[in-house]
Amino acid sequence: MKFLINPNQFNQFTGIVIKPLFIITILSFLIGLTYSLYFSPNDYQQGMTVKIMYVHVPSAWLALLIYAIMTIYSVIALSFKITFGFIVNTAIAPIGAVFTFICLFTGSMWGKPMWGTWWVWDARLTSVAILFIIYIIIIFLNYSFENKIIKEKIVAIFIITGSINLPIIKFSVDWWNTLHQPASISKLSSPSIDSSMLYPLIIMTVSFALIAVLIGFLRIKSEILYRKKIH
Amino acid sequence: MKVLSFFSREFKITMSSLSDLLTTLLFFFLSIFVFIFAIGSDKEILNSIGIGIIWSLLLLSSTLSLKRYYNDDFENNSIVVIHMSGFSYEIISILKIISHFIFIQIPFLFSIPLACILINLSFDKIIFFLLSFMIGSLILSCLGSIASSMNLLNKTNFSLGSIIVMLFSIPTVIFSVGLINADNNFYSMLNILFGILLIFFAISPWISGLCIRIALENR
Repeated sequence: MKFLINPNQFNQFTGIVIKPLFIITILSFLIGLTYSLYFSPNDYQQGMTVKIMYVHVPSAWLALLIYAIMTIYSVIALSFKITFGFIVNTAIAPIGAVFTFICLFTGSMWGKPMWGTWWVWDARLTSVAILFIIYIIIIFLNYSFENKIIKEKIVAIFIITGSINLPIIKFSVDWWNTLHQPASISKLSSPSIDSSMLYPLIIMTVSFALIAVLIGFLRIKSEILYRKKIH
Repeated sequence: MKVLSFFSREFKITMSSLSDLLTTLLFFFLSIFVFIFAIGSDKEILNSIGIGIIWSLLLLSSTLSLKRYYNDDFENNSIVVIHMSGFSYEIISILKIISHFIFIQIPFLFSIPLACILINLSFDKIIFFLLSFMIGSLILSCLGSIASSMNLLNKTNFSLGSIIVMLFSIPTVIFSVGLINADNNFYSMLNILFGILLIFFAISPWISGLCIRIALENR
């Protein structure tokens, strides 16, 4: 597991893994798309629009997951002085921003036919929008310092400070009365979603995660190359 | 004794740049005027949305003075001199937060009743407003300490500091306006606001101290 903290071992590992990963990603994405768009049933109330869920829910999970990964890497990098954490932070912040944007965009498209409005000032929606702003600030911070060493430390401190938002997003549907529904799938109870919709959702989540991992590997590799070039 | 001399130094600095502080106050009043010209002088509308407007303008004007928070001391190295006289950087940032609260935010406290009269607020609500501002401005000082110490070596894009303050001040603004408009859940709002204050007062000296140390090592 040393490839998770060592740039050279990471390069070796991804060199082996990246081509099979590419093929698996394409296959699972095709399977997931056909399963979710053609073979999964329509909802009895929502009709066709329920299929937005197969993009909305995985991207929302990944937006949170990528921020959590960035927080863990910031703590590791600051406390054990491991530079690879800073590389990961710089590389995967735009991916998280894109997934948050997809989540907000599809949610807005889903909200118009179902709730009758593009946007409500609801706790879950607002906190995800704040997450999007935090991602944007992280990307801006990455480009605004002249001194690279201080930049990455400041970004890591900001990421740790901004991680206050994660539990707020997760529990916002439980703490406040929101228009957004509470979580259907949780570990402690059996899912309140039918298996004919659960399986395509799981396949789509896996393929979205694979896409994120693939782009993340490529971005981290290019970031390592860039740092080797300037030093 | 050292603490007293620190505060007297801060007082002298504030007095020497008094026109800067007065300009910030003028910005606050002028922006209220612009807002009222923009939305019309209907009493009902002003009464319903005036509190939110004044709170957000207070937030904006407190971000104006952010540039002077640590930057001058950092540029002329007096922060190192203060550190050598026996304060750690965390203690320095606590003292800085308190002095920013006393010398920059308290003048706003005196100007708030005047602003509230402009939008026809009742007397009880002005008292609640002052109470919420006493707590909320200390939170804003803590946030200003975080943002300004993060941007010490940021020469290209300083407005990011104000954006960080505005980002973290969202819960403060929500619960401060909630405190003023509260009918029967006044004490719960007050407790939540105190909780936010304690959280930020606990974490901001550590973050600022760390950021100042990193900036001093790498300049």
